Amino acid sequence: MNKYIEIFKISYTQEFAYKLSFIMWRVRNVIQIFVAFYLWDTIFYFSGRELFGYDRSRILSYFFGLIFIKALVLSARAQDVAGDIARGEIMNYLLKPVNYFKYWLVRDFSSKTLNIVFALIESVVLFLIFKPPIFLQTDMVQIAFFILSIVIAVLIYFLLLFSVNSIPFWAPELGWGGHFLVTVIIVEFLSGSLFPLDILPYNLQNFLSYTPFPYLIFFPLQIYLGKIKGLVVIKGILVSVTWIIFLWYFMNRIWKSGLKAYQAYGR
Amino acid sequence: MGQKSQLWWDLPAIDTFELNKAIYEIPSKKYSDTLNELVELLEVGKLLNTQVRRLSLGQRMRLELIAALLHSPKVLFLDEPTIGLDVVAQQKVRDFIYEYNKKHSATIILTSHNMEDLLDLARRVIVIDKGGLLFDGVLGDLVGQFAKEKIIKIYLSKHADLKRLDEIGKVIKINYPLVVMSVAREASAVAAAEILQNFPIADLTIEEESIESIIVRVFKGEIIKKKS
Repeated sequence: MNKYIEIFKISYTQEFAYKLSFIMWRVRNVIQIFVAFYLWDTIFYFSGRELFGYDRSRILSYFFGLIFIKALVLSARAQDVAGDIARGEIMNYLLKPVNYFKYWLVRDFSSKTLNIVFALIESVVLFLIFKPPIFLQTDMVQIAFFILSIVIAVLIYFLLLFSVNSIPFWAPELGWGGHFLVTVIIVEFLSGSLFPLDILPYNLQNFLSYTPFPYLIFFPLQIYLGKIKGLVVIKGILVSVTWIIFLWYFMNRIWKSGLKAYQAYGR
Repeated sequence: MGQKSQLWWDLPAIDTFELNKAIYEIPSKKYSDTLNELVELLEVGKLLNTQVRRLSLGQRMRLELIAALLHSPKVLFLDEPTIGLDVVAQQKVRDFIYEYNKKHSATIILTSHNMEDLLDLARRVIVIDKGGLLFDGVLGDLVGQFAKEKIIKIYLSKHADLKRLDEIGKVIKINYPLVVMSVAREASAVAAAEILQNFPIADLTIEEESIESIIVRVFKGEIIKKKS
């Protein structure tokens, strides 16, 4: 256990090694939310207007919630795995008495801790600027489901990132491609971090609900906002847990054959 | 250790050491003893708190060595530990490996194309080429077995008819006043005496064939594999 605490500590220090880069990443996050926030605020400006099942307070809460969910789910370090493999540095860890998956899970966790602290500060500042009507969930059952769905989201994202980052085992210089695919296209678009997914046509929504992506961001937020309840929530949790099991199995398979293909080349 | 760096590039080396301490579950007392000893041997006390990316290659290599040795491994693989280092740093690393080997009676396997490493450190030498074993044995044997010739270097005091030298041995290089020739190992003393008698000599030395040239010949296949 001690080793993982130490990994947590060094990873934390590492994040701070380049303060400017970290701050820019936070600024990028905030600006994205700023833009979305203003856009939707304008649409819902006339009081009492309700679109796609959202009123002004819920839609603004959605984008406010994004700050936290993104800090919790999408801030990760496991995208560096590809580089580790391409440069052959993964060797250092294979030789040591340390579990490589747990190693990155801990590093993800340290990144999330740091980001959530900043997200708290940012949202207080944003709250003071916008003074938006925020929807507070008070139903304990919904909150419990919300927390569970966050844990699921974190695991799904970790497994996705790890699988995609195994590409360099076979194509050493393709690490960036996988990362681009996952973060930019899939995560930004299909997870609900640009717009709530329930404004999409019903068939598409239905289809997406069987992919792992909405469970990263959209699903937890829906639970928090109380837009889905009871059986729908349980169904979603079942689907997402199934995805975790599948991705876990898939990642292990990839990883095993990856290590066989791996030849410890490097720059 | 060697080609793959394990130090955290953006952090001071001491952070990596602390991490390794936790990963290998080294007790605190033993950790600080080993660290102090290694730091002293490698003379890196002032570098521990410098961000790794700001260090020179030689400084970094010495810190890499520490990172690899904190848990006192019994077997050590070193992949070109002296590559790209300046002469002083090379010597420091070599001296250190020697000391470490003596102190911990650890098995050290190192690959190198630096013959000084071989001469200073290696008891057993294995020459590998294209996946085949060309030689495996004591360094002395490599020389004794394959250096069938000795090198005689002559400095002439004045011009002389060098053709007659061919009768004594094989002339490798003439660069007046220096003449380099090789003679059969057993005949070296006789040859030297003969040269001294018949030529105007300012200086004469008898040397072993250099380890590089022996290995070059091993690679060229002049030396046939030992029968297995």
